Order: sequence, then C-alpha cells, then structure tokens
Amino acid sequence: MNVLRKIGLALFAPVLAVVVAVVISSAVMAALQVDPFEVFAVMVDFGDTPSQQVTALVVILNRAVPLFLAGLAVAIAFRMGLFNIGVEGQYRLATILAAGVGAAVALPGPLHVLLIVVVAMAVAAIWAGIVAVLKVTRGVSEVISSIMLNVIALGIASFLLTGPLRGSPEGASIIATAEIPESGWMPSLNGVFGLLGLATPPRQLYGFLLVAVVVGAVIAVLLNRTRFGFDLRAAGLSPSAASASGVDSRGMVVKTMLLSGAVAGLIGMPDLLGSTHAYTTDFTSGLGFLGIAVALLGRNKPVGIALGALLFAFLDRSLVPLQIQDFPASVVTIIQGTIVLAVVVANEIARRVARRSAERGSAAPAVVAGDGSTGPGQAASGAASDGGAADGGVGTGAGVSRSAGAGQRSDERQESGL
Amino acid sequence: MATPGSPAGGSAGTPTDLGKGATGAHGEDGSAAAGAPLAVELRGITKRFPGVVANKDIELRVRRGEVHAIVGENGAGKSTLMKTLYGMHRPDEGSILLHGREVHFKSPADAIAAGIGMVHQHFMLADYLTVLENVVLGAEKAHGIGAEARRRIREISDAYALGLDPDVLVEDLGVGDRQRVEIAKVLYRGATTLILDEPTAVLVPQEVDELFGNLAELKREGLTVIFISHKLDEVRKVADSITVIRRGTTVGTADPKTTTARQLAELMVGTELPSPEIRTSTVRETPVLQLRDVTVAAPTGRPPVDDVTLTVREGEVVGIAGVEGNGQAELVDAVMGLRALAAGTVLLGPDDITAWSTRARRDAGLGFIPEDRHRQGMLLEAPLWENRILGHQTRPPAVKGPFIDRRGARTDTARIMRDYDVRAPGPDTLAVALSGGNQQKLIVGREMSAAPRLLLAAHPTRGVDVGAQGAIWRLLEEARAEGMGILLISADLDELIGLSDTLHVMLRGRLVATLDPSAVTPEELGGYMTGARTTAGAA
Repeated sequence: MNVLRKIGLALFAPVLAVVVAVVISSAVMAALQVDPFEVFAVMVDFGDTPSQQVTALVVILNRAVPLFLAGLAVAIAFRMGLFNIGVEGQYRLATILAAGVGAAVALPGPLHVLLIVVVAMAVAAIWAGIVAVLKVTRGVSEVISSIMLNVIALGIASFLLTGPLRGSPEGASIIATAEIPESGWMPSLNGVFGLLGLATPPRQLYGFLLVAVVVGAVIAVLLNRTRFGFDLRAAGLSPSAASASGVDSRGMVVKTMLLSGAVAGLIGMPDLLGSTHAYTTDFTSGLGFLGIAVALLGRNKPVGIALGALLFAFLDRSLVPLQIQDFPASVVTIIQGTIVLAVVVANEIARRVARRSAERGSAAPAVVAGDGSTGPGQAASGAASDGGAADGGVGTGAGVSRSAGAGQRSDERQESGL
Repeated sequence: MATPGSPAGGSAGTPTDLGKGATGAHGEDGSAAAGAPLAVELRGITKRFPGVVANKDIELRVRRGEVHAIVGENGAGKSTLMKTLYGMHRPDEGSILLHGREVHFKSPADAIAAGIGMVHQHFMLADYLTVLENVVLGAEKAHGIGAEARRRIREISDAYALGLDPDVLVEDLGVGDRQRVEIAKVLYRGATTLILDEPTAVLVPQEVDELFGNLAELKREGLTVIFISHKLDEVRKVADSITVIRRGTTVGTADPKTTTARQLAELMVGTELPSPEIRTSTVRETPVLQLRDVTVAAPTGRPPVDDVTLTVREGEVVGIAGVEGNGQAELVDAVMGLRALAAGTVLLGPDDITAWSTRARRDAGLGFIPEDRHRQGMLLEAPLWENRILGHQTRPPAVKGPFIDRRGARTDTARIMRDYDVRAPGPDTLAVALSGGNQQKLIVGREMSAAPRLLLAAHPTRGVDVGAQGAIWRLLEEARAEGMGILLISADLDELIGLSDTLHVMLRGRLVATLDPSAVTPEELGGYMTGARTTAGAA
C-alpha cells in the first residue's frame, strides 16, 4: 500500500500537468475553430500497415533519445540547484567539433565512434565548465553566463561550419561539414524488429538508444546511490547544510557542471552517428531548451525524464501528419508550452501535498506525550504565584518561574501540534 | 527565587512588572485609561510555523506617544511579532488593537493604511535614486512625484529634524542619513506608529545619539515608536517602557528608569531552568582543541572574532557565554572551517587544521551541533536516513566505499531513533515532519554516533522542549565523562553554568573574562555578558 501511495504521489504531478495541458489546448483549438478531438485522433493514429506503425514508433524513439539526454543534462544541474540553460550551446558546439574530428580521422569502427563521442563530451564539458568557473571565482550567475555562452557557442559553430570545417561544395543549399567515414557510424538497431517478429521499418532505429539507456542508468545510480550523488543532492536541498556537512560547494559546482556538460555533449550524437553523419545548417536545434521542459516534466529523475522525452517525441512526431491533414502544427507547440507551465504548477502542488502528508504523519504518537505534562504544570502554578506574592513589586523570581512554565507549555504544544 | 524549573500553568495572564511602582504603567485597563491611551495593544498573539511556535500568548501594550522597547535575544520571536503587527503574516490566535479598535491586516498595505510604518534593519533603498525618489517610490498617489512631494518631504524633515535634502542621491549618504530616509519614508506614508527593527545595529555611537534625538522629536510630535533591540544600555537610555520577550512569549515589562541592565539581562536570558549539576571533574590533560589568536575579519568594521585563544581538553566542557551577535557564530564557522581565518591557528589534537576543509575536519573527529538546525544541520525535505548520512558521508555505517549504504543507514537511523528517543514513524519519514526537539535529538544522536574527539555544540537546546533539553544535557554529560571535549556556545546561562568546566565570556568578538562556573552566579555572568561588569572592576 505504501509503495502504491508513493507511485501515486510521483505520478500525480505529471499526469495532472498533462491533463491540464490537454484541456487548455483543447480550449485554444476550439477558439481557433479546430475540432480538438479530430486533432487528437490524428496524433494517436500511427498508420494502417504494421510497417507504418513500426516506423512511427522508430520516429518517436529516435526523437526521444536526444530529448532524454538533454533532459538528463539539465536535471543533473537542477539536482544541485544549478540552472544550466547553456545545454543548447554546449551540445551544438560539441556536435560540430566532434563531426569535424570524426571526419578528419580514420579509425577502426568502435574506436572511431568512441573518439567522436569523447570529443563531444569533452567539448561540452569544457564549455559548461566555463560557467562553473565564472560562478565559483567571480560569483557570476550560471543563468546569465550560460545564456551568453549559448550565443557565443552558436556563433563559433556557424563560423566553423562556414569556415574551417566546411565540407560541402560551394553554392550548396545546405552547408555541412565533411561526412564522417562509415567506420564512425553507429549501427542501427533494426535487427531487433526482426527478432521480435515485427515488420522492419524503412527508418533506422538509432543504436545510440542503448547508450542513452546506459547513461540514464549510470546517472540514476550516481545520483541516488553514491556519495558523490548524495553530496550533489544535499547541496541542492540546502547549500548551507551541505557545506556544514563538509561538502566543498565550489568544487561541487564545478564537478556538477562538468558532468552536466558531458551529458549535454551526447545530445547531438544520436543524429550525428545514426543518420546525418555530418553537422549541417539544418542540424536539430532547440534540444537544449526542450531538455529543460523534459527535465521539469520528469521531476529531474531519470525514469521520469525518459517518460517526458517519449511524450515530447510523441507530440513532435504528430507535427507532420497534422500538417498533412491541414491542421495547424502550432497545436503541438501550444500543447508542449502548456505542459511545461502546468508541470511547474503541478510539481509545486505535489511537493506541498507530500510535505503536508509527511507533517501529518508524526502527529499521532506525539500527542500522547504532550498530554502527560498538563497535570504537573497546573499543580506547580500555585507555588509559583505564591513566590510572586512574597517577592512583591520586584517580582523577578515570580516572573522567571512563570515564564518557565510558559516556555515549557509552548514547547510541548509544539511537539503535539505537528 | 521561586522554585526553579517548576512549570507554571496560567502563566500568560500577568507578566512580571519590574519597577512597577515608578510608573504604575499597566496591568489593569483602568490604569491605562488614566494615562495615555494605548496606540497598540496585542492580546494573546500566537503564531505557529511548521515545527515551531514562534510566538505564544504575546501581550503587548504600547501607549500613544511613547518609545516602547521590545527586547529579547535573537530568535526569541521579536521579528515574528513585528511581522505580525506589520501585516506580513496573520496570527493564529489573538487580536491586534490600534487605538482601542480591533484590526485585521491582510498585508503590509493594510498596516500602512492604519498608520503603522516599519523601518527595517536592512535598508530598503535604491542607491541610484534621490532621497525624493526613494521616499515617493510606491507612494506616488500621496503627493504626486513632483513639487508637492518635495515640499512634503521638506516639511517632514523640518518637523522631525531629520535634515534631509530631497535631491541628494542615496548613494552619497552615510548610514545614519539613510536610516533617516527610511524614517521619512514611513512618515511620508502617514505612519503614526513606527516600528524600528534593531535600528542601532548598523550605527556608530554618534549616529546612535542622533537617532535617539530624532526619536525624541517623533515622540514630541505625538508619534509612537516601537524599538526592537537586544542592546540593553541603549534601550534603557531611549525607551519609556520595555517589554521583554523570551522563547516566543512576553515574560515581563520593565520601567527603564528603575531597572538595571542586569535585571533586564536576567529576564532576557532566563535563569529558571533546572540545570544538571556535573561537579565531578573529568577533565584530562590532553588538549583536543586549541585556538591560538584566532581572528576572523569582516569586509568592513571591527573583526567579528578578535584574537581568541582557548583550549578544550579531553573530558572538558568549555562554555562560551555571550549575548548573541558578539562573534559566537563566526567563531563556530571558524572552527568548522566554514570561514577563513584572518590570523591565528586551530589545532585539533596535535594536528594544525587551520587550512583543512570542513570535511577533513569532520573526518578528523570534529562533531557539530549547529545553532540553526534547519540551515546547517538538516535536509528538511529528505528522509531521516539521508539526514543520518549528512556530515558523515565518508564513513560507515552509512557509506560503503563510494556508494551509499542505504540499508546500513536505515538500520543505524532506527538505532538512533531508539537510543536517543527520536519520536518519528520511521527512518523514511521526512525530517520536516519532526518537531524541533526530535530533529535536535536526531542531530545529537548522529553526531554522538561518530564518537567525535571534539563536539562543537552551538545552542544545543535552543527551541526544544524541556524534556528534550534534559535529555540532551544528559547526553553531553555522558560524552564528557567518556573523554569527549565539548565546546559549548550558548546564551542560556543555566546551561552554561550547569555544564561547563571552564567558562569564557565573549563580548564584541573578544574573550573578555574566564570564570569558574562553580563560583559564578547567573547575575554575575549576565553582567559580564553585557559588558556591565569587567574582570578588572569586580563587583
């Protein structure tokens, strides 16, 4: 029963948020004279043939993988009370540099992939590390510096793309880096569908899905089961208590931002290694910001983030079918926006509910203790007032003993009042 | 002295009146009617926050046209009370009467409309705006923002001798002037009752005198001033009457003309609690903590800790007495490694730990019971077993290598709950669900479980009920008997006298006296704490 309640509490906020978002966006659609039920029908329609349905699933999963990694990167910082808005710049810069390095070298398969991934993680970690260093040495708010560094990162990325790392011919409509040789591609997971007896879709399911799952598991263990994770969470819950317990808060800021950045570096990898094999002008953007929404939706817990990423990926997939059916695609954006708003509100409500139910939890045993003191308290009051009368005008003694009673009574009540 | 420690029922009714004969101020409605009418009256105000009763049965009567001081230690509940009066939150019980009529404030705006103004301890001024702009900000409707407003500010400034020029940038003003701008702000909004929260805390002596001059002007014009402070000498100088708050409740009123600082100090810190007598000395030779010439610097002004030297030996309790704000908090931070030293060394056993991190100090055997458990001792929104780990992240039973040992932590939390009588449903309960006393017992149990060489106990029984207080005292005694060194910082005189083997008095960052706790009375100790008594001029 306890477990059920716990799960109920954990699901309460996100489910409430999604429901509220659906209601609000239905209202908006109705106001735009679009039938919300038709729109929702299109969104959940994955096609008629098994092949179409599996393809839809692959599209969702492929989109969910980078969203999950983005949410994870943001959540790591959130857990320590840092707001890493810079994930966007971190992964874009990391991806283009990794693409450049990947195209420039030739290595045997797994090593090549590993090199690309490591370069991406390192670049993004360093970029996030700048934020941390500015914060601990100069007290610069990480929100400000990471926003600024986003702009710089995007500028550098487009300079690199049009300049030193340009691989596409002059006059091409889409500028791209040189293509990574095939040894640096990540194999797809399409074999799985055959094993499961499903139709093999024309789309490739990113092999990076497995990496993301492993990263998610590692981060979950790191945060919840290790000393490092404890220090990180303690610093997030109460920086002052964490420092008093011996957590080096400055060092923790640096480590957390490096970790958050390293995970951010992975965001571009599924697309880069799985399909595009080059960084292009139309490389997926905005994942860093969506990651913030996904992290909020998942309440900064890896499993929650995975669910949030799947939800957002599901919404994104419906963009194309909606447009084909002549519905405004902005419906999806509206739903995403309202979900984020509703999540913030619902999380706060859930937190208060949990806290209140916790506070009520201890009331029962303490009441008994409080009741026991009433008798002696009243019995002694006579003696105290006698003393007061004897002391007369300068009744320090009387006042003193009376207030003792008062102090005690209020404290006992404090015990039982919870 | 009435039976010490006897809990007295029905205490809220009549607070002590010190020096009652001199003014015959109050106690009965009749006498109040005979004198000036009451500008502010609080009846039975009680305010609870989760886990703590901040105010309890507060009774306050402030006559019109007087300077009424409210004194009490930090954390006694003065600020909560003033926030109640200023409409920043609503009391759970009791009523507020202004000029005899009951009022209910929903927000400070209501309080301002009713003529109450608050001068905060920390100024709320925009540096790059002029005096005029600062005063008018938020009260644009009163007299506009132009010539009319300027004229009104001049009027206020002249009427109360504030000496303000409306067109000077606040940036260019000194602290005293800024405070006068704050006063002008509340007067501009039509306040007839001014609340000044620790107004002298930021002022140098001459400025304090100027402020008192201003207050006299305000009084002469018939305004009422509520003056919050814990500086007893100043209070006695400026106030017409005094109300003392201790542990969230009003414990008495006093007439400043006939009351000594010592009597006030006694009322403020209390001398009533049963104190454990530990008289068999367990002090051994080996020092566990030595502070040598420890100085902590502040960005400006005098150092909060100034050249402190002391030694704690095995099995010894060294008490630091002092009115709060005299450097104790900074000293604690310095010992814990939370604040850098400007000079001096700290030795734990034979090791010079001056440059060590907090974690290294804790690992070397430093235990810590913080003054503010919510800020430094607990993760309120984490379960008890995680709180068991806090501060002990590097050692069993909570940790195995780099990993958290959840089962070990839970088991040990259950043990602490059993052994230290922490009343809670279980190790998975959130810390916020516990009462203050139970939270404190968990912290004490946690710190004791690591068997530290030195325990730094800052106000270990603050805000806990009498039962828990006794239990914590017993635990400290037992630990001392087993050879633990304890540095006890407290403002509770009985606790200090009852537990300490050696007693130092801290005043303005310095250790000004070293006393024998078996020979000193609370009255004497109170005298040293307020600076009324010095080692040179013994009484």
